[in-house]
Amino acid sequence: MTNFFPESKPMGRRKFMTLGLQGAVAMALTPTMVRALLAGGNQAKLEVPPELLQKVITSALKRGGDLAEVYVENRISRTILLEEGKFKSAVFGLVGGAGVRVIDGDKTGYAYSDEVTEEKLLRAAEVASFIASSGKKIKPVNIKEQKRPSYVTVKIPLEEVAEAQRMEIMKRAEDAALSYDPRIKMASIDYYDETRDRLIANSEGLLVKSSLPLIFFIVQTLAVGNGSSHMGRERLSRHAGLEMFEEESPEKAAKEAARESIAMLEAKEAPAGKMDVVIQNGWGGVLVHEAVGHPLEADNIARQTGAFVGKLGKKVAADIFTMVDDGSLPGFRGTTDFDDEGTQMKRNVLIQNGVLVKFMTDILSARQLKMERTGNGRRESFRYYPIPRMTNTFIEKGQDKPEDIIASTKSGLYVQSLTGGSVDPTTGVFNFTCREAYLIEDGQKTVPVRGATLIGSCLDIITRIDAIGNDLAFGPGICGKGQSAEVTAGQPTVRIRGINVGGTRQRA
Amino acid sequence: MDYRALVEQVIKDCLKRGAEQAEVYLEDNRQLNLDIRNGQVESIQEAQSYGLGIRVIAGKRLGFAFVNDLKAESLKKTVDRALELARAVSPDENNQLPVEAGETEVKGLYDPQLQTVAVERKLSLIKEVESLALKKPGITKSAGASYSENESLILIASSSGWVKSYKSTGCGYGLGVIAEKGEQKSSGYESCSRRYFSDLKPAEELASKAARQAVEMLDPRPIKTQRAAVILDPEVAYAILGGIVQAINGQRVLQGASFLGKRMGQKIGSELMTIIDDGTREKGLASAPFDGEGVPTQTRTIIDRGVLQGFLYNAYAARRAGVKSTGNASRRSFSELPGIGPHNFYLAAGKTSPEEIIKSTSRGVLVKEVTGYGINPVNGNFSGGAAGFFVENGKIVFPVKGITIAGTADEMFNGLDLIGNDLDLNRTMTAPTIRIKSLQIGGE
Repeated sequence: MTNFFPESKPMGRRKFMTLGLQGAVAMALTPTMVRALLAGGNQAKLEVPPELLQKVITSALKRGGDLAEVYVENRISRTILLEEGKFKSAVFGLVGGAGVRVIDGDKTGYAYSDEVTEEKLLRAAEVASFIASSGKKIKPVNIKEQKRPSYVTVKIPLEEVAEAQRMEIMKRAEDAALSYDPRIKMASIDYYDETRDRLIANSEGLLVKSSLPLIFFIVQTLAVGNGSSHMGRERLSRHAGLEMFEEESPEKAAKEAARESIAMLEAKEAPAGKMDVVIQNGWGGVLVHEAVGHPLEADNIARQTGAFVGKLGKKVAADIFTMVDDGSLPGFRGTTDFDDEGTQMKRNVLIQNGVLVKFMTDILSARQLKMERTGNGRRESFRYYPIPRMTNTFIEKGQDKPEDIIASTKSGLYVQSLTGGSVDPTTGVFNFTCREAYLIEDGQKTVPVRGATLIGSCLDIITRIDAIGNDLAFGPGICGKGQSAEVTAGQPTVRIRGINVGGTRQRA
Repeated sequence: MDYRALVEQVIKDCLKRGAEQAEVYLEDNRQLNLDIRNGQVESIQEAQSYGLGIRVIAGKRLGFAFVNDLKAESLKKTVDRALELARAVSPDENNQLPVEAGETEVKGLYDPQLQTVAVERKLSLIKEVESLALKKPGITKSAGASYSENESLILIASSSGWVKSYKSTGCGYGLGVIAEKGEQKSSGYESCSRRYFSDLKPAEELASKAARQAVEMLDPRPIKTQRAAVILDPEVAYAILGGIVQAINGQRVLQGASFLGKRMGQKIGSELMTIIDDGTREKGLASAPFDGEGVPTQTRTIIDRGVLQGFLYNAYAARRAGVKSTGNASRRSFSELPGIGPHNFYLAAGKTSPEEIIKSTSRGVLVKEVTGYGINPVNGNFSGGAAGFFVENGKIVFPVKGITIAGTADEMFNGLDLIGNDLDLNRTMTAPTIRIKSLQIGGE
């Protein structure tokens, strides 16, 4: 896969590890790419007998602990790359395994295995159990399978789709991109799909299973002209079968990427310094994902290090600002039936009319903070233990018409799309890179300007949001926090007063 | 498990079932991660895992399949999958596995002692670094300390007639601390990664550095938007090197998606600018005897006194460009096809001490932290968030936060007018302190 826009990782405290060990460490510290599962082929891995699960849980608790859990996973994946007019490669993957976790007070013990056999599971339980030292013994509740509602429906199952059908969709996108304008010199279409099967059992008696399909479709286009080049991008993603492309047209995505790359060929220097910024609806919500979302993840709060420590119940943002994380939005990229600890997904209002009302928890941080479990315990694969993560995170829609927001902005920057960004959750200092932006002059969107960085601090920025549109929309993305997670970010058109923009031009 | 016999068998199977060329990439890893906070263990994670990827070429078409189940039946299915996919894609005459036999001798990739050092010792190292840092004046909280190690075996078998393998280790530890003053919060992070456990820096060194970083950034003052000199600390080397690494990616160059694509042999920057890619350095964190598809690694000058000398290639891109692979096939995992990436990539040291660089700067910013994507590899534009110190009349005067720096690659490369003598080669992408004559700085 050619990745022209490496997704930025938020600055977690594991960052230094992954950076420092590049090259030295291969699989363990490389996130991504844990994939696979051939329908019918290795399904058996998820057919772990309940008696064995019970035995592993009991064994994991032999030195004590508050919770023991077994997580079994299988992933089938396909990746196809169409670039420069050729289907350059096709990749099929099948990866499965299981992890055993023990929580004892604030401590977590974790071990995993590629093989889901009694011997390996008991060995993992043994390793995970070493962490326990409190001597606190609990008796595990007998597991019993529970049926859960699903927020994902499938009409055309991925395993019934021939490669040729996937490739035809890719070709449609490529044709649409290349015929958009002669200045489009190259199109790159990445197609990825997976089916991820999970089984989660724990000492609270939980036993849940689910199978989730996911499609991720990325169009990138290179425009060359006017002495410049620009790579445009558009992404589609859903938990769905191939019917996703009936609702989300590959041609439309391709034209959008092409439109962006052509528009940005005319980009002028961006101004530098503080100014008012209007951010278009959709993926622009990544700004609050980073700036506000990460600091609202409860692990920072339980550690007493986060920017929002001590702010629960307090007014932290403007009255018009309501922010939600909802992992149950049907078919969305950040949605699952239940999180990777088996907690039911639901709508969680985090900030209500400017008042901080909830943090996003996993089992551990919910225990530590004596808060409810919000369904945010997520993990990249069985090779990771879960941590609090966002799902589908967005600013709730407001009253303003988007055109009125622009018209009432005397001068500033209109950000049509953002590439991504990062945040230090301790200090709340964040940054974003604009993909497509325009000047606002006398209430009008005027000339395009080059990709500038926007920076600020989370506690400050949410007090500066003074207009929120009625046009809520979403965009799919990848979030990194030592491990990667599928998310969507959403927002209506919003205006932020006085944000620092990193352009190259000194303003008059 | 006899991996060598296993991968040789898979190659045979591929050829028997219709592949003209085949490659198996196998990886076996042992991993240990330890986290502590406030003197207490927070998590211990340990595991051994493996997986393999099968690349086949049939009728000039490429198929790839990977799996982490090494049973014969599952491997057979994976071979079939790879061949099936090869039938679906487009033929491409550049699909050709590398033939280069042999390996580069690289010393110090594997520390046989790493596994024998007790976990308690590793835990006490991070407990020590945290407790030392918490004693530093101004430090109010710990953001935790972590240790992580990895031991891996990589094996590549090819129908070109060879099986190559090597073992490597890596270990590292680091910490985060917080300094608070009234409503202000400032964080500092420091870490050290090495191939050998005994080469890790002492805890006191890391603790002081993290603490200093957090404390010295308290009480920042705003600065005006202005053009001024920008001094980049070695910590932010990626701000300048990250974009270059992507722009010299041979595949990107062929696709016309690099601002350096048409500038081979041309002067692209100051004469002080020399950049090396070294895959052979003893104990180097990005060293290896061969690259992700078995091509021996080498040391190459990428930019020689400002003149662009080389791009990075894997076998596919090299063939397409009509050159030889430079041994830069990168493979982050068995689940990926070879991409293109650097080894130990660095800007060569100059003669000036970092103190002299500051002393000779009349007005500018010493940048300790840069956020954002660095230089855009497509068009060379640069914009990032930054924090550091304001420098006036050769002296550091106060910390600055929440500023931006922006410019173009041209401005940055040509504006390099001082290069420090403080190059630390124990990092994978690294530079000494450097000064860029003038860039746009965004402030108030």
